[in-house]
Amino acid sequence: MSATQEQKAQDRKAREKDEARTPASTASARRRRKAPAEPERFALLGVWAVLIVAFSLIVPQTFPTAANVSNMLSSQVVLLILAIGLLYPLRAGDYDLSVASTLNLATVVVAVLNVQQGWGIWPSVLVALVASLLVGVLNGLIVTVFDINPFIVTLGMGTVVQGLIYLLSDSSTISGIDRVLSDAVLTQPFLGIPIGFFYALALVVVAWYVFDHTAFGQRLLFVGQSHDVARLNGVNVPRLRWRSLIISAGFAGLAGVVYAGTTASADPVSGASFLLPAFAACFLGSTVLRIGRFNPWGTLIAVYFLVTGITGLQLLGAQQYVQQLFYGGALVIAVVLSKLVRSRGERKRRAQAAAV
Amino acid sequence: MTAPAPLLAVAGLTKAFNGVPALRGVDLDVRAGEVHGLLGANGSGKSTLIKVLAGFHDADGGTVTVAGTSVRGPFGARGLRDHGLGFVHQDLGLAGAGTVLEHMALDSGGDAPGWRRVNWKAERRRVTDLLDRFEVDVDPAAPIDTLTPVQRAMVAVVRAVGSQELAGAGSHGRAGRAGGQILILDEPTVFLPRHEVGLLFALLRRLRDRGDAVLLVSHDLDEILEVTDRVTVFRNGRTAGTRSTTGATRDDLVQLILGARDEHVAKGDATVRTDRPALLSARGLRGTRVRDLDLDLFAGEVVGVTGLAGSGFEELPDLLFGARPASGGRIEHGGREVARPTPARSMDAGVVLIPADRKGQGGALGLSVLENVSLPFLTGRARGFAVDWKGLERQAQDTCDRLGVVPANPQALFGHLSGGNQQKALLGKWMDTNPQVMLLAEPTQGVDIGARREIFTLIRSAVAQGMAVLCATSDYEQLVEMADRVLVLDGGRVSAEITGSDITKDVLASAVYAEDAAEEAS
Repeated sequence: MSATQEQKAQDRKAREKDEARTPASTASARRRRKAPAEPERFALLGVWAVLIVAFSLIVPQTFPTAANVSNMLSSQVVLLILAIGLLYPLRAGDYDLSVASTLNLATVVVAVLNVQQGWGIWPSVLVALVASLLVGVLNGLIVTVFDINPFIVTLGMGTVVQGLIYLLSDSSTISGIDRVLSDAVLTQPFLGIPIGFFYALALVVVAWYVFDHTAFGQRLLFVGQSHDVARLNGVNVPRLRWRSLIISAGFAGLAGVVYAGTTASADPVSGASFLLPAFAACFLGSTVLRIGRFNPWGTLIAVYFLVTGITGLQLLGAQQYVQQLFYGGALVIAVVLSKLVRSRGERKRRAQAAAV
Repeated sequence: MTAPAPLLAVAGLTKAFNGVPALRGVDLDVRAGEVHGLLGANGSGKSTLIKVLAGFHDADGGTVTVAGTSVRGPFGARGLRDHGLGFVHQDLGLAGAGTVLEHMALDSGGDAPGWRRVNWKAERRRVTDLLDRFEVDVDPAAPIDTLTPVQRAMVAVVRAVGSQELAGAGSHGRAGRAGGQILILDEPTVFLPRHEVGLLFALLRRLRDRGDAVLLVSHDLDEILEVTDRVTVFRNGRTAGTRSTTGATRDDLVQLILGARDEHVAKGDATVRTDRPALLSARGLRGTRVRDLDLDLFAGEVVGVTGLAGSGFEELPDLLFGARPASGGRIEHGGREVARPTPARSMDAGVVLIPADRKGQGGALGLSVLENVSLPFLTGRARGFAVDWKGLERQAQDTCDRLGVVPANPQALFGHLSGGNQQKALLGKWMDTNPQVMLLAEPTQGVDIGARREIFTLIRSAVAQGMAVLCATSDYEQLVEMADRVLVLDGGRVSAEITGSDITKDVLASAVYAEDAAEEAS
């Protein structure tokens, strides 16, 4: 293979030289290469902008304030980390429904070890992360070795983990987690924004790089499109799916640790409330920037679009129910939208092809 | 029974897809009390006709008459089922864990509302009676996946008969009587072991004897000669002829299928390097159908593999590539044994596969051409971790230009390309890896004539530079044009090897359709 690659490299150089000699052909090639403009890609950004302007005009005293912006950014860090992790299996075409329980598990493990067992905060965090990764390893093991649909495997595993959480926490809230963790993830501001936001942002950048610029990300995409195509191109499909499930579990653990730091306590149930928002963010995110593809920047936009709407409505006096309405509605609308946009694009391209 | 008028008469039926005619006016008449064979090469229009009758397609022109009554199209989703036609498709339409009874009970629902209670007692009576009447020894409570292949085929046939009886008992008095039904079987024997086919044929004869008409679509001349009374042959979307099978020979049928004797096509002379070790060898290879197969692929040759559907030639590329596990035997790359061949290992050894199922296995339809053609080069061209997209895009552009992929735009969605252009892109992708061995499965299926020629030329020029090609196909013309030698498989074993100028459509057809072709051919 290496000899082949050398040969290829030489070929490529020769080709590049050729292209340099004939600038006209390169220019025409570039023109042909241009991707079609798709204004739909930015639709959600537009709606978001409209929301921001509208709320700023309606509640100018409370919405467009530094405190509110900082609060909105930091309040979504846990959800964002969870959703970014969820992108990996989604990209490979697999659902991981155990992420919320895994998040909760990490929170409870940190609390139990740190508060009840008197461990140091960092060893507790480490054990929590390892426990989360183990959930992913187990998910992947069952999915790939026995070739079972991850939807049902992770649904079951999530419930098992939830049971474990009750067992560990004795079904009660544990408070008094070391302030060091809170300082590390929440309180210390950077540029006036809590530091946790920048952690999440860093993970978005990493995910973007992995998805768009590494062989792993590209293979993940092919696995999500068709197991057969990936397999016949030499991709180790089971190994890739397994890894993506471990990654999502690891991210869930990370999100759980940050959550523990944010609240300085751990209760056995509140993690579950992250499941639907995480899926809503991923699916809504797949209607932005790269339509039809789960992508990290789109997910970031979706997360903050959703919180903008919810915060604005709450400032207008809406009650707790608005959160459910918004997240649930967003998930359904996102799925419908991406379907509509895709078939519209399909028709347009068909028409173009027919015209040619 | 009825008047001598045929039970089913098709006259001048035409059908075109996107302006490409599939049926150019076919005639067919099937009488009550006969088993009628329908033969023809691939693409001759057999399956299009069946699909028109079953309501998958609407005909463009022509008439269909059932029991003397002209039926006007379009036939709608139920096709001619309400006129006494029953269909058994190749996949039989039976699924896994459901029992025989459950499958058959589906039919008696008809248009009844979903909340109608299923009368299981009556259903069991009806199904038991049906199975008894046709002497099919199957327990109604047996799950489908516990049945043998031939039992499944027989259940499918009896089920079709039963559902016709039910339909007849409802609105159409005519079809309700025993006999007078038309049963259409589309290659039901492909997946049956040879020695069990007789059981199915006995069932077909029982149907014939009670006055039904059976239309049997098949590739297998022996079966046609054995079970049918008359046979109609399609060629290029027209009826080439209808004749009685009593006294007919295999040669008569082959002649009808192929039409005029085909001319000899000269082939570019390739230097086959048999002096060096074979690039790819198989010894005693076993798969689902392949049995103890030995094979050597030498540099500079195109080896064709063909046979009847189910003879094992279809799975050979997958087995050699490691895309499906072999159940025995060994595979060698350049004389060295590969312990457990996988696609990745084969690719490392310079062996590549272009699968027959282009849309499901060849490329990802929802991704761009660029992404599809760069999949094997992601790590090869990586700078550090990063994929070199600029370089890959240049390469993809070059591949598209060189192979004449239209549109020559790497950003185009792979799924929006025509079949021929998809295949050219995939061919280009693998050519760019400088493979030593290329395994092709039905490489020109769904590819238009122009692209087909381009693909042949590309492959031949790569072979001239020392590549070895294995091409598994049921398209004889393609083998005549491309192959240096052809292996004909029968029952998983090589039954004939035809080389050089002996490769003609005639020789191939008689080798494929006849077990004793080995002597004739070589």
